[in-house]
Amino acid sequence: MKKKLALLLAGVMTLSAFAGCGSDSGKSDGKDPEQVSSINEDGELEGDITFWHSFTQGGRLDTIQAAADKFMDEHPKVNIKIETFSWNDFYTKWTTGLASGNVPDMSTALVGHVVEMINSDALIPLNDLIDEIGRDKFSENALNEGTVDGNNYSIPLYSHAMVMWVRKDLLEQNNLEVPATWDELYEAAKTLTKDGVYGLSFPCGSNDFQATNFLNFYVRSGGGSLLNDDLTANLTSDLAIEGINYWLKVYNDCSPKDSVNYDVLDQATLYYQGKTAFDFNSGFQIGGVEQNSPDLLQYVDCYPIPTIDGSEQKGITTSNQPIVVWKNSKHPDICKEFIKTLYEEENYLDFLASQPVGMLPSVAGIEELDAYKSNETIQQFQHAEEVIASQIPGGTAIGFEHGPNLQAGLLVNQHVIEEMFQDIITNGTDVETAAKAAEEELNTLFEAAVQ
Amino acid sequence: MLPAIIVVCALFLYPICSSIFYSFTNKNLIRPTYRFVGFDNYATILTDKSFWNAFLNSLKWTVFSLIGQLLVGFTAALALNRVKHLKGAYKTLLIIPWAFPSIVIAFSWKWILNGVYGILPNLLVQMGFCNEPPQFLTEKTLAFIVLVLINVWFGAPMIMVNVLSALQTVPQDQYEAAEIDGAKKWQSFLYITVPHIKVVMGLLVVLRTVWIFNNFDIIYLITGGGPAGSTQTVPVYAYDMGWGTKLLGQSSAVTVLLFIFMMAVCIGYFAVIGHWEKEDK
Repeated sequence: MKKKLALLLAGVMTLSAFAGCGSDSGKSDGKDPEQVSSINEDGELEGDITFWHSFTQGGRLDTIQAAADKFMDEHPKVNIKIETFSWNDFYTKWTTGLASGNVPDMSTALVGHVVEMINSDALIPLNDLIDEIGRDKFSENALNEGTVDGNNYSIPLYSHAMVMWVRKDLLEQNNLEVPATWDELYEAAKTLTKDGVYGLSFPCGSNDFQATNFLNFYVRSGGGSLLNDDLTANLTSDLAIEGINYWLKVYNDCSPKDSVNYDVLDQATLYYQGKTAFDFNSGFQIGGVEQNSPDLLQYVDCYPIPTIDGSEQKGITTSNQPIVVWKNSKHPDICKEFIKTLYEEENYLDFLASQPVGMLPSVAGIEELDAYKSNETIQQFQHAEEVIASQIPGGTAIGFEHGPNLQAGLLVNQHVIEEMFQDIITNGTDVETAAKAAEEELNTLFEAAVQ
Repeated sequence: MLPAIIVVCALFLYPICSSIFYSFTNKNLIRPTYRFVGFDNYATILTDKSFWNAFLNSLKWTVFSLIGQLLVGFTAALALNRVKHLKGAYKTLLIIPWAFPSIVIAFSWKWILNGVYGILPNLLVQMGFCNEPPQFLTEKTLAFIVLVLINVWFGAPMIMVNVLSALQTVPQDQYEAAEIDGAKKWQSFLYITVPHIKVVMGLLVVLRTVWIFNNFDIIYLITGGGPAGSTQTVPVYAYDMGWGTKLLGQSSAVTVLLFIFMMAVCIGYFAVIGHWEKEDK
């Protein structure tokens, strides 16, 4: 009996190896759903919609729920079911859900995901919604990130930009200026690497895209790109090789060796705890420091990411967090109506105030409102808010400097660049050899995805 | 009967069949269409040195983890079997690692071992064992050893509990008879204890082998398979292939190969256990 039971268990466990890879798929996912009228005989909105979002932190979660509750109060025949996932789970959820038709009516997304969704014919255009809210209120860059053939498939909810975070107290104690060039940053980081503090951690864990992010900072600041104009990978240009060598130098001289395995949370935690003097992140950095080391909050500030020659930086990596409506939705009208209410002044200000400075408005004019400016954190970090706001218009998501493209999302999500850095650091592989191999690997993957 | 058949079909046969099916296609996670490519995926994987590196890592990971878990679990069971008082309390304490979800365990160890603020590296410095906090997850060999030790810590309690249960079924009068006959402790162990528990141990080895070989979460959450693929096992390789590179066809082929290998291992194990059972009769 025991043997039979064990055999059964062993069989089940062995078979379970399949579970992660089984995936249902029709040959086409872009089926037209059975859309029904969302307006009943009494002229009221009626229907159930599901909203997936990734605002897992308390404040944002609550404000979105409050907006949904308010909408349901105003439209008693509407039911909005909110489901929350972390970004990683979200990606798994929608890619598998798309195949089986198990996707929501509306959702948040990452910019790279939106392109993949458009490529899978999974979204509906939101041009009418954007026009209704006011097309001129949104930045052109932000709208372009979800635009294909004149159709706007996403609408930006909030924006942020990557900037350089500094510890003012450490700079002052060491008579250092805020670095404006990469060389100055290296020298400052090297000087500050002492007494249990590291100047700047260089993260290249292979389950995140931090090294891609950092290399992109360097290459974009020099006017280059990690993608060529024909959307092939470019890791072997002089600028890219210079960037790789720069970050290796930082890793060797200014970074904890453990950072070879760091993901974004590991990286940010060091700064939150006062263990690094510099870091690159968005305004969410403030909330992290506030929670982990409130005493350090007064010493935290941000500046534009350095450039190679010290020229003015106008933004590198911007994130305009989009909302999309899925083609599978039976009630796109309800989704659009609900989305519209998220931009109503009261709802929008509440939402932004749940992560002040972390989430900046994607809609023009909000930043001028007293209710927005009077937020305590925004007042305290006025300089940081101004710096981030100044960087948003000039930046794009990684690879989107070439417009929306599938390769940009793959460049970020494949972790090939992280593995390249690990190979160089751990195995001592020659930089140019590793860069060429990574470039070829990326191009092979690009070809497989866009065939 | 029908519900059982439906559940089995839905939970096991369907994913298996779909994996086998997709392993012969060029299915990409984000591309709506696909076509049949014959054995191309298998050829690609079997000529990929990363796959063989992951396979070798999986073998080492399984063998070392299993040996460690058996040694620690078996020793703890023997020790606990001799405890007269508070046996339940000790057993509960020792089973604690099993009570936590692996994500909690992974993040806890990642926190403990962090080379900057981790408790363990800093404790070693304070105790004078080293001048700088050791970087447990940075060097390839050390990272692998550390993961194996975490897996031993995690899995040994399960072995302990099962072996302890088996030990408690050994008739005490056999030990008393052996003692009267002048048998030494090691002889009692070898000729009474071992024969009584070897089938249970064999079954545990089978289950743990499959379990450890297929383990994904601890490795992925702590090192992500790095640095430079040094801790990448076949399940992590398959995951990266499916969800990282989105090549679902190739990822499915990896899992089919994994399935074939594990079935072969299980058949071998059961042949040995069957032989033991025949001997006992």
